[in-house]
Amino acid sequence: MTTQPILRVDHLKAHFRSSYFGVYREVPAVDDISFDVAPNEIFGLAGESSSGKTTLMKTIAGLITPPLELIGGKAQFSFMPPETNLYGADPAQLARIRWSKLSYIMQGSMNVLNPLRQIRSIFRDFAAVHIGGSNSDFETKTVNHLSRLRLDPSVLDAYPHELSGGMRQRVTIALATICRPDFIIADEPTTALDVIVQKEVLGMIRSIQREMGSSVLFVTHDMGVHAALTDKLGIMYAGCLVEAGRTADIFNAPQHPYTRHLIHSLPRIGDTVQRTGLTGTPPNLANPPSGCRFHPRCPLASDICRTERPMMRQIATEHRVACHAVAGDDA
Amino acid sequence: MPAYFNFAIKRLWQFVLVVFIGINIAYVITHVTPIDPVEQSISAVTSFGNTSPEAIADMRRSLQELYGLKGDWIEQYISFWRRILQADFGPSLSAFPAPVTSLIARALPWTFGLLAFTTLVSWSVGNLLGALAGYYRNNRSLKFFGVLAMALHPVPYYIVALSLMIVFGFIWPVLPITGGSAMDVQQGWNWQFVASVFHHSVLPALSLIMIGIGSWFLGMRSLVSNIITEDYVVYAEIGGVAQSRMMGSYIIRNALAPQVTGLAMSLGGIFNGAVITEKIFGYPGLGTLLVDGVYAGDYGLVLGVTSIAIIGVSLSVLVIDLIYPLIDPRVQVAS
Amino acid sequence: MKRIIFDLLKYNNEFRIGVFLILIVMTMAGLSFFSPYPPNDVFVVPPDAPPSADYWLGTTSRGQDVFWQLSIAIRNTLAFGLLVALLSRVISIVVGLSSGYLGGWVDRVLMAINDTFIVIPLFPILILFYFVLRDSMSTILLALIMSSLGWAYDSRLIRSVAMSLKTREFTGTSVFSGMTIFEILRREHLPYVLPIIFSTTLNNMNWSIGLEVTLAVLGFMDINTPTIGGMIYWANQHTAIVAGIWWWVTFPVLTVVATFVGLYLIAVSINEYIDPRSRLSRMGGGQS
Repeated sequence: MTTQPILRVDHLKAHFRSSYFGVYREVPAVDDISFDVAPNEIFGLAGESSSGKTTLMKTIAGLITPPLELIGGKAQFSFMPPETNLYGADPAQLARIRWSKLSYIMQGSMNVLNPLRQIRSIFRDFAAVHIGGSNSDFETKTVNHLSRLRLDPSVLDAYPHELSGGMRQRVTIALATICRPDFIIADEPTTALDVIVQKEVLGMIRSIQREMGSSVLFVTHDMGVHAALTDKLGIMYAGCLVEAGRTADIFNAPQHPYTRHLIHSLPRIGDTVQRTGLTGTPPNLANPPSGCRFHPRCPLASDICRTERPMMRQIATEHRVACHAVAGDDA
Repeated sequence: MPAYFNFAIKRLWQFVLVVFIGINIAYVITHVTPIDPVEQSISAVTSFGNTSPEAIADMRRSLQELYGLKGDWIEQYISFWRRILQADFGPSLSAFPAPVTSLIARALPWTFGLLAFTTLVSWSVGNLLGALAGYYRNNRSLKFFGVLAMALHPVPYYIVALSLMIVFGFIWPVLPITGGSAMDVQQGWNWQFVASVFHHSVLPALSLIMIGIGSWFLGMRSLVSNIITEDYVVYAEIGGVAQSRMMGSYIIRNALAPQVTGLAMSLGGIFNGAVITEKIFGYPGLGTLLVDGVYAGDYGLVLGVTSIAIIGVSLSVLVIDLIYPLIDPRVQVAS
Repeated sequence: MKRIIFDLLKYNNEFRIGVFLILIVMTMAGLSFFSPYPPNDVFVVPPDAPPSADYWLGTTSRGQDVFWQLSIAIRNTLAFGLLVALLSRVISIVVGLSSGYLGGWVDRVLMAINDTFIVIPLFPILILFYFVLRDSMSTILLALIMSSLGWAYDSRLIRSVAMSLKTREFTGTSVFSGMTIFEILRREHLPYVLPIIFSTTLNNMNWSIGLEVTLAVLGFMDINTPTIGGMIYWANQHTAIVAGIWWWVTFPVLTVVATFVGLYLIAVSINEYIDPRSRLSRMGGGQS
């Protein structure tokens, strides 16, 4: 707790606002979210699809384009000047930190490599300006980096369509780490891969993170992956962060009813108990429920849940939860 | 390389098919109609003046040969193909005794030059402006150009050419409105002739470019506005890839492939436009030859120009197809 | 369909301008039924009169009233375009849907033929037709010929839609529930293909009217049926521009340009309505 966080997200709010053919919609996809990421830490974000994980990611990364709008709050990186979000920052400043300090592994990585460009040129496009030096220096560095990740340098000659899905994802990870960034945002990087490849890719992320000492913000809906990979974990539901803490604590003692459901739905070998699903469906964010957004599906819901939105409260060391039904000291 | 070989074979086969079907249509048109084309031609030629009965009989004989009306239909069909493959369309009736082939050979460079130049200009300028308009969506002058293209693009060649002719021929007569070069200039590689050719081609070229540029612009603009939402462009943007690289190698490069296919698919239409434009501006190319051939009832000429048009257009399409893998390396794998 | 048109009218400028232009043109065509002069009669009014209160758009050198002549001409031209578009729709729908849905060698054969018709320059072929048929060439015959030549581009479009529909879930469901191929095509796919067919119909009308005007202007048509192209042909025969009878050329040209732009704008705005990607970019976003 003494170290300065590398990323501090503070009451961040971003909404989708659209008006088309006369229908106005406002969707609070990121609603008042706060958390910190420490150096050399993998912070996981979990939640169902359309719970706002990707939007949160984009907002933090400053990739805010209409109809998404930043409503309020901050997402502050330690390598940026104080009190500046990436969104709206000086373009020259952004150009300096992009890839050298902050890089990304995106959702749907199958399509993030320009289909009409050789891998070598793609590496050069992204990284040459940060690494500098002559072409042959850069080539040597790229080859070294690839072999560190146990990738054959011949991939540099390939076009993306000539590589398999897993291979493409590994190339993307190599691309995202070649400048040894302080912070990596990884959005569902393994979702589209089969289990074997998924395991290899996760191992690769883990080892390169250890080696470089970077922080990773890792988003996936797969709780199994979180258990295996992350140090800290945040649970999202309907645009809100409902629980955050050390991954081990959350798995051992989940507090929020939604978290409990997520964890208990994980299969265990030898377990024959019939798993019960949650009733109902995730809420339509264009018209979210009043009070706690989880209350229509919550087994513990009481009157206060229907009217008053629960705030994040500290209940143990580095463990916060937003639920009226969970007792704890006020944060 | 074997992948490319397979690909080329496939394209070549399509080329053969196009020519085969095209020429067969021409055969069917000229042979299955109830009207006797020989008598048609003779009446068209003789209506202009007195022709002696012997000359008419002579003409009828050579026409029947030319049409391949001798023998049963299989023999006719084979001799028809032989003529086409040997590029032998007989003597021109309207410019007797010059062979049709030499008339076409004289006209071909004009059409090829005009079409190659205008297509290249409108394709590249239209695509470049369209790409910029798709990327910089709020640029005022590009938006204005878009409105202009929207209004101009659906108008047929004839109307545009006629309007240009009225404006520059009658209202503000600064450009020659007819011919391929000035009458009093010796044809050949001399400065005066070349300048005259350029001067005379301004209006035909302008009308072809005005029509062509709009569709490339609109097509490219919508392609680019889709491409900039693709993952690889968004990723390159957040990766801080330089603007110029982004525009060239990420956006335009990826939009180019469909636009090259589009070029191949619209060559036939472009040729249609050239026929009309040439006729309006009296440009000495294939279009003028074709239309004058119809007026003069010159069967050999009309059939010759039609066949050359079919073969020429499909040959250009074949060339584009064959270089396409350079633009999109994925195509060989797919096929 | 009603809702789509209503939405487009309310929120899409291009559609509104298009509809406005087409309404004007159609009103003009409708007026032809009230024409005081038989369309083919000449010298019924004093020749070469400029636009005036008596003759709104002037008169021609052949003694015809430009306004009434124009109304019958645009009616014939529109009818021609519509006829070609409807007839060629039959071919492009059959080819497009069966090619896209059946796939395999049917698709390969049909598309090889299809691409041939895209590549072949049709104008010389049409001229060849006229050359052989001469006076037997009628507007109806030309419409038949053009619809059998001008279907290929649209059937490729319909094929690509059918191909994407084929892989959707409800197609599989229909197959398992025992519907015949024909039923699946008609009941499940046609509603998706219809708006696209509608917009290709408009584009095809533009294409055929453009060719008709061009052929008629060159005199390669039945010039006795009054059409826009025919009007311009007669004006050229009388060297109307040189003689200063500008109204004889200008008004037909304006009318036909209004038709082209109108049809095109409607087609474009419908396409945009169908395509969710361009809808997104309209909202200014584009991320999913």
